[in-house]
Amino acid sequence: MLETRTTPDAGATAIDDVATRRRLDRREAVVRGLEAYALLGLLLVLVLFFAVFPETSDTFLTSANLQILVGNQAVLAIVALAALIPLVCNEFDLSVGPVAGLSSIFVASALSDGTPVVVAILIGIGIGAGVGLVNALLVTKAGINGVITTLGMATVITGVIVQRTGGVAVVSDIPASVTGFGTENFLGVPRVAYVLAVVAAGVYYLLAHTPFGRKLYALGSNPTAARLVGIRTNLMVGSTFVLAGTLAGAAGVLQVARAGGADPRVGDNFTLPALAAAFLSAAAVRPGRYNVGGALIAIFFIAVLNSGLNLAGAPQYLNSYVNGAALIVGVGMAAFLHRRRARA
Amino acid sequence: MTPPDLSTANGRDPSGSRPAPAGARDAVAFALRGMKKSFGPTHALRGVDLEVRAGTIHALVGGNGSGKSTLIKTMAGVEVADAGTIEVGGRAFDAREQTPARAGELGLQFVHQQSSVFPELTVAENLSLGRGFETGRAGRIKWRHVRRRAEAVLERFEIDVDPEVELASVGPATQVMVAIARGLQDQEDATSGVLVLDEPTASLPTHEVQLLLDALRRYAAAGQAILYVSHRLEEVVAVADCATVLRDGRVVAEVPRDELAQTRLTELIVGRPLAAAAAKMTSAPGGVVLTASGLARGNIDLELRAGEVVGIAGLLGSGRSQLLRQLFGLEPAHGEIRVDGHLVDLAEPGDAMRAGLAYVPDDRTARAVFADLSVTDNIAITVLASHVRGGRLRSRSEAGQARDLMRRFGVRAASERAPISTLSGGNQQKVILARWLQREPRVLLLDEPTQGVDIGARMEIHRLVRDTVAEGATALVVSSDFDELALLCDRVLALRNGAIVAELAGADVHEEAINDQVYAPE
Repeated sequence: MLETRTTPDAGATAIDDVATRRRLDRREAVVRGLEAYALLGLLLVLVLFFAVFPETSDTFLTSANLQILVGNQAVLAIVALAALIPLVCNEFDLSVGPVAGLSSIFVASALSDGTPVVVAILIGIGIGAGVGLVNALLVTKAGINGVITTLGMATVITGVIVQRTGGVAVVSDIPASVTGFGTENFLGVPRVAYVLAVVAAGVYYLLAHTPFGRKLYALGSNPTAARLVGIRTNLMVGSTFVLAGTLAGAAGVLQVARAGGADPRVGDNFTLPALAAAFLSAAAVRPGRYNVGGALIAIFFIAVLNSGLNLAGAPQYLNSYVNGAALIVGVGMAAFLHRRRARA
Repeated sequence: MTPPDLSTANGRDPSGSRPAPAGARDAVAFALRGMKKSFGPTHALRGVDLEVRAGTIHALVGGNGSGKSTLIKTMAGVEVADAGTIEVGGRAFDAREQTPARAGELGLQFVHQQSSVFPELTVAENLSLGRGFETGRAGRIKWRHVRRRAEAVLERFEIDVDPEVELASVGPATQVMVAIARGLQDQEDATSGVLVLDEPTASLPTHEVQLLLDALRRYAAAGQAILYVSHRLEEVVAVADCATVLRDGRVVAEVPRDELAQTRLTELIVGRPLAAAAAKMTSAPGGVVLTASGLARGNIDLELRAGEVVGIAGLLGSGRSQLLRQLFGLEPAHGEIRVDGHLVDLAEPGDAMRAGLAYVPDDRTARAVFADLSVTDNIAITVLASHVRGGRLRSRSEAGQARDLMRRFGVRAASERAPISTLSGGNQQKVILARWLQREPRVLLLDEPTQGVDIGARMEIHRLVRDTVAEGATALVVSSDFDELALLCDRVLALRNGAIVAELAGADVHEEAINDQVYAPE
């Protein structure tokens, strides 16, 4: 199609010596590699520490504790993946936690009323998708800022939950098949972890191996330029909120299985660690980009830290310190790594 | 091409010097010695010396990647130099310890292309933001003082504008002048300090450029030392007292006033004799590719034929950019648009892309580049579907195509995985062209295609456009650089107030003729 002549011109990069260049390249590759897996390394160090630390060495590295740890994080991790998708295009969904809570309440009461399990699951996922759609329309059609929209939505949902439950947990008459799924292991691994694996694989595939994901990263990088290469930006942003709602709804279903019911306060406790993990994801695996692998590492990093502290008998409020600090550090790292890549 | 004779137009003897206060003129106001800076293995500056004398306009020219921007950044203390000395008013400082704060103390004032003015604030407020507002009790701003001082500053810098109007309502050249006045308002006399202008005219139309250059001449005549960084060589030739040419991080020449000429500067910048400009169309144009009616505000009709490059010349607000936006589905058009005879409905960019249109917007950084994404991602974004096999986006296929295009388009980058922000402006622009030309568009829409691009890359970009239309496509180019339109286009349409006022073709396509049409009195 095109015949182009390449001409060495004034802008030629000055490289003095090929050997030096290669050496520097290799060193840079090592540094980048270290950076990409620093958080994973830190996670392993933490695990090792709690395994030998006298206060926790008896309990931490037991299979029972690890199964609890992984099982307890599965729901939170799915909520984090829900928050991750809009974050890729720079939209914050603060309603993912309460949506999971709302879904769990409705799923639990449906199950107590004798609704078939499959229908209950669909109710939970449908509620999430519905809330996500409302968020999407408010942000893309009405043009309301995403943080405000989802913050308002989160607050409204919290109200709905209290109205519906009177602040009392829904735990009666949950079928044994459901609670069993949430607590049993398969091949030594909690069953809920398999659900997480499937969801994580799906989100990873979506973000890393489809045109949708690629366009999402472009949108996060420069919305104006994204529109000018034919990306339907409103449609993309809207679908991330719908996906986030759907995943949060699914997380709510899983929460019912894991907890054997629904606690009206559980949703609010998800939001902060989930967002922290989504932000921290940009500090691992693919520095400067929000990604699934990074989010999972971040979730377990925060979880191991909290679990170890609990086993060591540290007071409960330390967990709040950990989660808050993780959020701030995560946002800071994401901003720093992103700036470094985009420095003009 | 004859360069426009800006100097005689302003009643200035092209070879002579301007009168200046005796004694002040020859003093070195500012000097850099042995400036060095490396980024990893890349030597951006390899020992640069530069002397700027009081009362002169000293031009700094060089291609993208020549070290020009790095030099300015080390002066400003934004980048830390590896070695070198900065001398101001006879005192020497270690360049490694330069900081933005000290640059301010030394009287180095920087005005950048998108100068840091606030269009929604008034002229007086903009001036005060540079130094702080006079406040009374309880932190109340004393508006009367602010206004009086603004009037004094505007008078001193001969800027004819009411301090109470919003800055957005005055012309772009006046905005740059206000930015300059803001920087210089506190200096004791004109010979202290140095004014550094980085591409101040890049977004100005020609008559506004004149206003700014006139102002600069006045400031220099009053004894101000000015370092003038620009890609626009005709301005350099018109206004500079001497020019320093950088290439590969070294000073390759120091050209005095009487030897300044565009061709000589270009050869020094590029480092070799100039190749011929991309050849224009030799045979008659082919079949009609695009017809459009009712463009701009409804009264522009267009017909573009295969093999031709058509230019749009007009001032800001003439409808020139609106026309491109309508053709790319970004704004509703009022009439019919046909591509290869088929009526197309362009409700959004995706429709335009499917119809065979491609659009390279102006302002690359804001509107085209995904700065933190790799060169590959930046190229592949318009053809993602073509890299999907078995439901999966194949990164290897994307990277392969990117490498291939980089080779064909002469894009210089560390690798196809490098973030595009690490490339020079010219190379970034070639990546953006590759993004669109790989789609083999029928109609190529270009808005300021070589803005902020060095002369070598500019010629390569022109050649790429020519090669594309030679294959049977057509191109529509908007540029405020009429020299570029004259070089590149087979036909030029002059726009005024949303209507075509003239069409130039063949031998009539030259810069003066375009200027005449665009600025012709109503």
